Amino acid sequence: MTIQLLAFYFFAFFAVLGALLVITLRNPVHAVLSLVLTFFSVACIWMLMQAEFLALVLIVVYVGAVMVLFLFVVMMLDIKVAAAREGFIRHLPVGIGVALIMLAEMVTLIGLRAMQVAPPPNPAAMHGESNVAWIGTALYTQYLLPFEVAAMILTVGIVAAVALTLRHRVGVRHQNASQQVAAVARDRVRLVSMPAERGDPGAQP
Amino acid sequence: MSWNDVLTMLPELYLTGAICVLLLFDAFAGTRYRSAMHWLSMLALLVTALLVVSAQRAIPATAFSGMYVDDTLAQILKLFSILSVALVFVFSEPYLRMRKMAVGEFHTLTLFALLGIMLLVSAGNLVMIYLGLELLTLSSYALVALDRDSPRATEAAMKYFVLGALASGLLLYGMSMLYGATGTLSLPGIAATLPVTPHQSLAVFGLVFVIAGIAFKFGAAPFHMWLPDVYEGSPSAVTLFVASAPKLAAVGMALRLLDVGLHPLLPYWQDMLAVLAVASLVIGSLVAIVQSNLKRMLAYSTIGHMGFLFLGLSAGTSFGNAAAVFYAIAYVLMSTAAFGVILALARAGFEADRIDDLRGLNQRSPWFAGLMALAMFSLGGVPPLFGFWAKLLVLQSAIGAHMLWLAIVGAFAAIISLFYYLRVVKVMYFDKPAEDSALLVSSDASLRWVLSLNALALLALGVFQGPLLDWCLRGFGG
Amino acid sequence: MITLAHYIVLGAVLFCIAVAGIFINRKNVIVLLMAIELMLLAVNINFIAFSRFFGDVAGQVFVFFILTVAAAESAIGLAILTLLFRNRRTINVAEFDDLRG
Repeated sequence: MTIQLLAFYFFAFFAVLGALLVITLRNPVHAVLSLVLTFFSVACIWMLMQAEFLALVLIVVYVGAVMVLFLFVVMMLDIKVAAAREGFIRHLPVGIGVALIMLAEMVTLIGLRAMQVAPPPNPAAMHGESNVAWIGTALYTQYLLPFEVAAMILTVGIVAAVALTLRHRVGVRHQNASQQVAAVARDRVRLVSMPAERGDPGAQP
Repeated sequence: MSWNDVLTMLPELYLTGAICVLLLFDAFAGTRYRSAMHWLSMLALLVTALLVVSAQRAIPATAFSGMYVDDTLAQILKLFSILSVALVFVFSEPYLRMRKMAVGEFHTLTLFALLGIMLLVSAGNLVMIYLGLELLTLSSYALVALDRDSPRATEAAMKYFVLGALASGLLLYGMSMLYGATGTLSLPGIAATLPVTPHQSLAVFGLVFVIAGIAFKFGAAPFHMWLPDVYEGSPSAVTLFVASAPKLAAVGMALRLLDVGLHPLLPYWQDMLAVLAVASLVIGSLVAIVQSNLKRMLAYSTIGHMGFLFLGLSAGTSFGNAAAVFYAIAYVLMSTAAFGVILALARAGFEADRIDDLRGLNQRSPWFAGLMALAMFSLGGVPPLFGFWAKLLVLQSAIGAHMLWLAIVGAFAAIISLFYYLRVVKVMYFDKPAEDSALLVSSDASLRWVLSLNALALLALGVFQGPLLDWCLRGFGG
Repeated sequence: MITLAHYIVLGAVLFCIAVAGIFINRKNVIVLLMAIELMLLAVNINFIAFSRFFGDVAGQVFVFFILTVAAAESAIGLAILTLLFRNRRTINVAEFDDLRG
């Protein structure tokens, strides 16, 4: 058993453990944190496959941004934990049964015997370039069109998220910084010359 | 990338630019220019359609290293998608204004979805299939939820989102297995590798997931759970969109994946599609009978229509594929007409989405009752309307592929489904209008004219169906 | 020696856990969203493993796109979730009874 294989089992164990916790934990905040554990372990497994770029992207984009967004929403919504747990026990045996049967079928159908192969030498390293350069070259040549379409999809994400959640409340007073900066004393204070008032002797007490 | 690549996909590039301009216009011009937004969107659609038509290149042409394919099939589907989105804009404009839902995002998100459809039907690679599909579905989720303060709409959007994301997950798992079996993501490459690969069983395993993903996107039984809720819960303007152009995209996606990419596995997917077709036909025609909500009834009828569409696809012949495309076009034009009438009758606080709401429509507005009857007869497949020829062609293609039993099931489903379409006609013509009902047809001139043209086209295309059918057949070298 | 089979089985296990999660937590939307993320993660493991063993870049590029789309997808999903919570004050699917689906 090589050190790589040990590392694989170590990370795979935590990935599966995290995944099981995600679907069973009572508290959504804990579930999100378990998902982070899974993502982190899987990123390490991708490192073992020498897919360094994607492993880092998984941590930076997923753990760093998407999971934080999840945490943010979970905390903001203040979800009642108990209410969302109805039927959990009732569906648990069915869920486990379905998952186990599916796993058995999948493992049989995939045909693992043909897959007992060792990895070939890393193609990127053979060309004397890093994994990032290898992916980057493909991304900007052959996969240029999908790359641009992905940009459009991110735009849709922005437009949709803003359209759905931005609310202009009425009656809220906003600060307009540019108007504040542009303010000059001349516009604010008006000096008028008036004749001096003469006291009305009749009104004196 | 060369200049030629850019020219080949000029319609999509133009549409992308137009969407960006419209986004900026909407952000900076403010709400006073709402009607300008509508007309600019229509202009963008018109130019895109002209660019699709004017493409006088030798087709099939590919661009961007085989990512993008331009052929007759893509052109047919694109033109009718653009047409149906234009109909959506015209029919929904008065409705959106009345509901105070007139936000510019309706137009930009719909155009984003159209861009997704155009890329999807031109996909030459699994990556492009996935990205085009996601561009379409992500925009659709947001459109369904666009009526932000309606609990029903947000609930429908959530169901749509969860089931749609699940479907994408299944589709992707299948794609990963296809990649594992063939070692390539390009669709023609997969077709070339499949007969010689040692991992044939892996490919068939992936195929099951791919078919499940496709069925989800079509809304075919038993993957139809989202469809009635989304149709009923969305604002009618969005229902009209969801019921139209995405069906053309689904046909395009199924043909690209199954006919171009997985044709060597025809014996496997033929049976799967046949099972899905029977399930959809049965559920679509039986459950629709008991519905009282018109939008929900049309949703179940959609499931039935997707069953007919699968009859054509499952034949696996070029005639069957052409019949499926013809059917999708017919379905889209019929559903825009039916939902157009619902939109024309809707007012503030009155959705006109129950079947009883149409009672006595003939006394109030004989012309629109006639248009609705035309749409219903066409959906039911009464000769000589458009819907009849569509049904006839898919049944012929099923018989041609030696699946007589499937054609018999289809014929029975067609007869049963006629019943609930006739119920709508009966309600309109023979029931008295409720005392307090105030069925008023929208006074918007462009809505009235275009809706009339849309419904009359069902008659015209039924009588002169030849050229359209020839065009569809040419898409498959027939 | 780590073989291709190791990675594919790990992907299959995570995929099945995700499906079981969807079965068990039908009531809780936020866990449903997380189960879908798990499903995509399983897909990504498959793609990277095949890509590594074919020495072909396409699989890793696909994973890059899946990660991008999934980020946009969760932004929209969470936006819809906040709308739903604002309208209904709950994320319990059992209480969504306006639509009969």
